[in-house]
Amino acid sequence: MDYLAVENASKTFGGGVRALDGVSFSVERDEFFTLLGPSGCGKTTLLRSIAGFADLTEGTITLDGARLDRTPPHRRDIGMVFQDYAVFPHLTVAENVAFGLKARKTPAAESAARVAEALATVRLGALAARLPAALSGGQQQRIGLARAMVIRPKLLLMDEPLSNLDAKLRIELRDEIRDIQKSVGTAAIYVTHDQEEALAISDRICVMNAGRIEQIGTPQEIYADPRTIFVASFVGTMNVTPWDAAGPGFPPGFAPDRAHVWAIRPEHLRIGEGRPGAVAIRGEVDKYTYLGREAHVAVRTPDGRFVIQVADPAPGLRMQPGTPVSVGFDPANALFFDEAGRRVATTRTS
Amino acid sequence: MRVGFWPLVGLLAWLILAVLLIVPLGSVLLSSLHDQAGHLTFANYERFLDTPRFRTAFVNTLIAGFGGLAGSLVLGAAMAFCMARLEIRGSRFVSLLAILALVSPPFIGAYSWIVLFGSGGVVRQTLMQWGVFIPPIFGMWGVLIVFSFKFYPYVYLLTSGALSNINRSLEEAAESLGLTPFQRVMRISFPLVLPALSAGGLLALIHSIADFGTPRLIGRGFNVLATEAYTLYSAEIGGSLSMATTISIVLIVLSMIFVVGQRYMSRRNVYHGNLINKPAKRKLTGFANVAAHTVVYAIALIGAMPAIVAVIFSLRRTRGPVFQPGFSLDSYQRIIFSLSDAIQNSLLFSAATVLLTVVIGTLIGCLVARRMTASNALLDATLMVPYVMPGIVVGIAFVAAFNAPPVALTGTAAIIILSVFIRRLPYSVRSSASALRQVSPSMEEAAISLGYSPVRAFMKVTVPLILPGIVAGGMLSFVTAINELSSSLVLYVGSTITMPVRIYIAIHDGDYGTAAALSSVLLALSGAAIAVAFRLMGRDERALL
Repeated sequence: MDYLAVENASKTFGGGVRALDGVSFSVERDEFFTLLGPSGCGKTTLLRSIAGFADLTEGTITLDGARLDRTPPHRRDIGMVFQDYAVFPHLTVAENVAFGLKARKTPAAESAARVAEALATVRLGALAARLPAALSGGQQQRIGLARAMVIRPKLLLMDEPLSNLDAKLRIELRDEIRDIQKSVGTAAIYVTHDQEEALAISDRICVMNAGRIEQIGTPQEIYADPRTIFVASFVGTMNVTPWDAAGPGFPPGFAPDRAHVWAIRPEHLRIGEGRPGAVAIRGEVDKYTYLGREAHVAVRTPDGRFVIQVADPAPGLRMQPGTPVSVGFDPANALFFDEAGRRVATTRTS
Repeated sequence: MRVGFWPLVGLLAWLILAVLLIVPLGSVLLSSLHDQAGHLTFANYERFLDTPRFRTAFVNTLIAGFGGLAGSLVLGAAMAFCMARLEIRGSRFVSLLAILALVSPPFIGAYSWIVLFGSGGVVRQTLMQWGVFIPPIFGMWGVLIVFSFKFYPYVYLLTSGALSNINRSLEEAAESLGLTPFQRVMRISFPLVLPALSAGGLLALIHSIADFGTPRLIGRGFNVLATEAYTLYSAEIGGSLSMATTISIVLIVLSMIFVVGQRYMSRRNVYHGNLINKPAKRKLTGFANVAAHTVVYAIALIGAMPAIVAVIFSLRRTRGPVFQPGFSLDSYQRIIFSLSDAIQNSLLFSAATVLLTVVIGTLIGCLVARRMTASNALLDATLMVPYVMPGIVVGIAFVAAFNAPPVALTGTAAIIILSVFIRRLPYSVRSSASALRQVSPSMEEAAISLGYSPVRAFMKVTVPLILPGIVAGGMLSFVTAINELSSSLVLYVGSTITMPVRIYIAIHDGDYGTAAALSSVLLALSGAAIAVAFRLMGRDERALL
């Protein structure tokens, strides 16, 4: 029996806009599950339907065997963390965290202990008596997290909780969220449009586009084995090139018959001929971008433009535009997609 | 419970608007379309167009309106620029003076100008002794001067807000693109503050058209529609109100035209400055610095002068209505002994008005802010109408509508309270709606997800968050209510006399000491209410508009 099961969830807004189109998935009891997609893909609508702030036009949601979509939102026992923190500015940090316990009529002594514990977990113990207005965004979101966790919810929902924070803090807090979730063992659904965040934090990722699920899988599966061209391009960087049988020197019969486009990641391309059996394409440098830890070389070839990632580039390395180069890669790393954008297997990959 | 509640509030709102706005306005319209014998006719409007007296009043109203507008724009914009962009010493004191100008009790402004610059005015007499002759303030120019110094805070407060919110990078970008300072001002800064400038100007224009006290006391033959309406109303009382109501309709139409015109003018110009790069205040030196300070302090002090004069004169020794040398509390003694009914009435009516306004305004505000339906949008738009209705018109409309059964309210306290209530309701709705929009809906959702029912979430989270704003709005409504003159002048009877009406009568009778003392009491009450409001929501002069 799945812990959380969403079946055939559909949502149509006035005017016939389909925000969700037959979405089904399930989440395990202690799983960190991420909904990833561009804005407007329906991920927030889906999260709000689970929370009860939006009604589905069709479909069912069950949590722990009970129909969730028939329970009013305040009885669903779901913790929620908001993009804009939604910390109550008129209550102190401790009162914010105790807010949900009050509704549950938790005895004062127990409530105080649980609040203290929750605040310690998010490292805000010293600020318990302060008002939130004086705190930074990261601290406010920690309050939001503690407030949602302290009620020991059946499910934790997070709606882009880190998108208003700066880059360094985002990475710091996302690791904390992950650790806390694992230590408490609550199932969590996390919404984000940041693919790197999704890869870093999730047990499984559900990539959504235009109200539909593109693919559900572990971060490794999503990145290395994308099932659609959308997933391939949305997660990470991808060189996407129209397939032309007369083009680059793949071994004869390597490409599937239905291939429409082919794609390869920058880190799978090399400058130079490379090892035997590798494919090589001739071209010239278009642009060289030095990023410190790595560099990106854009190369124009008769078959299209490719970006190549060079790891640990030598500081002295210069690539003038127009320099002739050769781009080499292992054909096994190439991915092929059909006209509908679905992945088609090559003869050599299993 | 929630399902039925909000539609009910909507229904209540429409009911209130129907009874207190649509019925009175309808009565005014019907009355203006009937002759003395009760036949349906356009004769009143023909008479309005044919009678030189009315034509003059119409033209004078336009002169007063646009003159007041022009004066307020010049004074307000100059002051806004200096205050927003230059370092002015004592700028908090200056904005306090602007508030004083804004909340000066009606009439007392005109009266103080007469005391100083009238035929026997203190300043005028002194100057005459020095051989400088200035004409007495009476007449058209007097009215325009008083309007300019009375209504400039509308322009000043809105424009200075806009000026200090322009992203400095925009002006720097213009400069780096090679625009001269003059081109930069005309092509970047001016368009950016234009919406605020025109909104402030509109308020000055509407108030100049609606103002009744100033032309009445200072005009001396410079009659406008508001004074004509009152004169006709006083003369026609008991009989038909047809001419007074005709003028009322003309006034309403005029005001609405200006409101719609301003909306149309600034329809595209909504800019949201980001506050990342606020303009810095420049420190001037030498002559320029002296000039800037002179301009600012001259405008502010002259604007606040009526209030200051009122306080000073309230402390002068009097014998009967005649001022004597020296100071005393005679005037205060007199108002406490003989005029406490006016003070009591004022406090009572204002408190009742505020209570009604706050409760009903907040409910409708929630409706408008959170439940956007076509009906609620229409409600929001309809609420603009009482906002721009001149007080005199509201008074006449209420008399026209509630003079006879089934709803005979004339002569009661209720009619005065309701007349102020309907005029203040739009402000209250707007302010509570905007307070509510400041509260992110996710606050309530957070409470719901933590186990509070929607009603409890609203009570536990939203209400405490908007309460300071609502109480502050109530305090500001109190200021308006207690200073309200023109509608109560039409609606009062002996037992429901209020302080502003009493001041008007006292000035009329030449009893300036009493008028000054009553005005000072009004000022003190208004000041206290504003202080409470600013404490609750932070100092924000623009909330007074």
